[in-house]
Amino acid sequence: MGRLVLRRLLSIIPVLLIVSFAIFFLLALVPGDPAVTLAGGVTATPAEIARVRAELHLNEPLLVQYWHWLTGAVRGNLGTSLSSGQSVSQQIATRFPVTFGLVVASAIVSLFVGIPLGIVSGVRPGGSVDGGARTFSTLGLAVPSFWLAIILVAIFAVHWKIFPPTGYTSITSSFTGWLTDITLPAVTLGLLVGATLARQLRASLIDVLDTPYVRTAWAKGGTRRTVLFGHALKNASMPVVTIFGIQIGYLLGGAVIVEQIFALPGLGPYMLSGITDHDLPVVQGVAIVFVLFQMTMSLLVDISYGYLNPKVRVA
Amino acid sequence: MAEHRRLRRFLLNTGVLLSIAWLLLMIVFAFFASFIAPYDPNAQNLAQPSAGISASHWLGTDDLGRDVLSRLIYGAQSSMQVTFETVGLALVLALIIGLVAGFRGGRIDYLLMRGADAGLAFPPLVLALAVVAVVGTSVNDVALALALVFAPGFARFIRGQTLAVKEESFVEASTSIGSSPLRIVIVRILPNVMTGLVVGIAIALGSALLAESGLAFLGLGPPPPAASWGAMVQEAYDTSLFTHPWAIVPAGLTIVLTVLAFNTIGDSLRDTISGSTIRSRRQRGVKRQRGITAVARPAQPAPADGDAVSQGDGHRALLEVRDLCIEFETDAGRVRVVDDVSFDVEAGKIVGLVGESGCGKTVSSLAVLRLLPSPPAQIVGGSIRFDGRDLLDMDFDELRKIRGQDIAMVFQDPLASLDPSFTVGYQLVEAIRLHEKLSRSAARDRAARLLESVHIPDPRQRLSAYPHQLSGGMRQRVMIAMALSCYPRLLIADEPTTALDVTVQAQIVQLLNELRESHDLAVLFVTHDLALISELSDEVTVMYAGQVVEHAATADLFARPLQPYTAALLAASPGIHGPGDRQALIAGQVPQAGQFPSGCRFHPRCAYAEEACRGEPILLTTAGPDRQSRCRRVDELSLPGVGSDVAARLGADAVGTP
Repeated sequence: MGRLVLRRLLSIIPVLLIVSFAIFFLLALVPGDPAVTLAGGVTATPAEIARVRAELHLNEPLLVQYWHWLTGAVRGNLGTSLSSGQSVSQQIATRFPVTFGLVVASAIVSLFVGIPLGIVSGVRPGGSVDGGARTFSTLGLAVPSFWLAIILVAIFAVHWKIFPPTGYTSITSSFTGWLTDITLPAVTLGLLVGATLARQLRASLIDVLDTPYVRTAWAKGGTRRTVLFGHALKNASMPVVTIFGIQIGYLLGGAVIVEQIFALPGLGPYMLSGITDHDLPVVQGVAIVFVLFQMTMSLLVDISYGYLNPKVRVA
Repeated sequence: MAEHRRLRRFLLNTGVLLSIAWLLLMIVFAFFASFIAPYDPNAQNLAQPSAGISASHWLGTDDLGRDVLSRLIYGAQSSMQVTFETVGLALVLALIIGLVAGFRGGRIDYLLMRGADAGLAFPPLVLALAVVAVVGTSVNDVALALALVFAPGFARFIRGQTLAVKEESFVEASTSIGSSPLRIVIVRILPNVMTGLVVGIAIALGSALLAESGLAFLGLGPPPPAASWGAMVQEAYDTSLFTHPWAIVPAGLTIVLTVLAFNTIGDSLRDTISGSTIRSRRQRGVKRQRGITAVARPAQPAPADGDAVSQGDGHRALLEVRDLCIEFETDAGRVRVVDDVSFDVEAGKIVGLVGESGCGKTVSSLAVLRLLPSPPAQIVGGSIRFDGRDLLDMDFDELRKIRGQDIAMVFQDPLASLDPSFTVGYQLVEAIRLHEKLSRSAARDRAARLLESVHIPDPRQRLSAYPHQLSGGMRQRVMIAMALSCYPRLLIADEPTTALDVTVQAQIVQLLNELRESHDLAVLFVTHDLALISELSDEVTVMYAGQVVEHAATADLFARPLQPYTAALLAASPGIHGPGDRQALIAGQVPQAGQFPSGCRFHPRCAYAEEACRGEPILLTTAGPDRQSRCRRVDELSLPGVGSDVAARLGADAVGTP
């Protein structure tokens, strides 16, 4: 198990290098001179521009610039925002908890939605619950997150006024406040991811319940509880874990949209403002943090997969 | 022909038809928006803002008085263009990357695949955002950005398929003939790869549309006032959420329906390609229940004496199967797989149930503990009495207490039949504790002793092993140990030695013989291996095409079969005749259930068949003390058996001792 984790950790490094390289060079292609912007725009004197350029190593070859950016990034310095002049790392540090909280809350909602639905419809395919669950899963794959978010706002914030339409309370200042503000965004993403999980769990439960080892479990005199929840569910959950890992990417992307709609001060709106302002350090910084976030989450998913599947663990 | 039918079924599916119709409509909108749309999509009419549905504005107007329907129709232009362009571009990229990586291999493969990994390391939307930040937000820019999101997944798939196809002989053959690699790729690999990609493409089209509308919603689409579905949702959200919340519906619903159409086509294509039938159709008529075979038999008359198999002296066997009838729901309707099957197993006796594959012997043996899944299986007649109680009358909880406790099963494929994600010890302890109130550690002790009793070395260590860590023979011993864990009175073994090599086979047979002696264990031994049966069993029941065709004591059956099928089985059995003896294969195949011939079901393959054998069904008749045969000509035929001296010799051969 330890070896598995180590191997996965090591495999991250080359990918992360390529990613950072791609992010840096891609964005360096954008037209416009950041030195001019930073020095104060059109009113900047040539001397000021030259000073900024030297400060940011903009006179040096791209590869050297990349090296400076990379070494800075490793030390936690992602540069300075062109539009606000603030440290990108600091902005990310204050905004990351918001996104992290949203993603975790959404993941929890998705598990609470997807697992029970998947179990019920997988154990009794063709039943009435299954019909509803399948409609739900099919819709979940087709409904855009932003549209669902708006519908939830229209119903629960505008019509019934149970939850606020926008806004954010930090979890450290008030937990219930945070919970109220995070509910609609988390339910939006959680429902959609939960639909996928339910669909996968249903399919793999149907497969697993047909296997010879489940037949053995019945033949031993297993109760419905031991067979369905012990043997069938454990085996059926493996592909679900894989799908969940893939869904994390969707969750992070969805967070960008949902944060924008609910005005949550997370990484999403920061990146979007970076894009509209052509603020490259911001886009670079947020993108690399998103990649790191996703890789960490997938690593955790892989580890839990190894915990479920003894063949992976021993190998 | 079969493919033709599948394609027909795919196209006749209502969901698919509706989806194709909807997508065609959207494509027509996209191409002919200016002819179809009733209004200019950008014509403002501030006298009529946010109007409801009316004859002049079918879907109302937006906050600037623009006609919503016209904007939707024009929105199809950019949405459809980006969607198809994205997937097309992604495919071209992925084909180049995947084919080159798969075909060239080596360092190029490594680099390209790490590149794909890098692409997959991004949350999809974040990658698209980063690219859009660089290239811009025109239709082509967005399509490029999204193509980069979809390409890595496709590339991985194509590479995998290319590698698989490359291994196949025809590509090797082409290479050795001297075809150029490029030709091979185009002519041979591409069609193979594309078939597998079709489903992925349909699903990707839906995802691309979702992503495109997401970007447009965030303002990263075609700049206003150009219409796009995502932007329309955003405009309605910004201006009308509190005043006219219905304004968010038309554009959002259009996106949902279009994605739904792509997904429906993708899912149905997947079902069509994999050939999986639509489950609901097959399940009609049989109520689903988990863990127990459904029983639907006509009101049961009191068991009459003078049954074909009954001893006639009031003596009851441990297991009495009478007139068992089992039907399966199939696409072609209900078919009877087991027809009026009766047999007995006495305490301490080993009874062989033999026949070729597909004769119904495994189905019959699984039916005893009602382990056939319903649907498709249903027991429609007969009785299964164990110790006088009819197992077919029991509910799940009553039957559960008998399973594993009084009647235990050993299955054919031990690797598939042991749960791969639990240790051997866990599975043994579970089997014990399901029936006996025993502490975990006491159960573990017994589990270790059980492993020892089936001659597994280091039983304590083996308890913490997973099934895949054991050898085939070891696994089957674990299965047997598990079956024996509650000291059952009857063991049903379904081809328990088929997957094992001869030495292990012999050891297992010896073990069963030991247990019969030491525990008075009754065994129903299901197999097609007559050599094994001659060594092991006291009685033999022969099945063919869902029916019992002969029943006799083992020695009698081998010495003088009374049914041509039995004789043919004996003649075809390896190991029964001395070395160098010729084996006569039985011509033809076992007919499939539902397609049984009229008259004697064996007549098409029978060397002794006469015209009359084709007419009326043949009954199982008594043909001597404790003997039955299902043959019209039982009294006139003299069929070749195996001489008693040969039988004795093969007995020794079967256990592998010289």
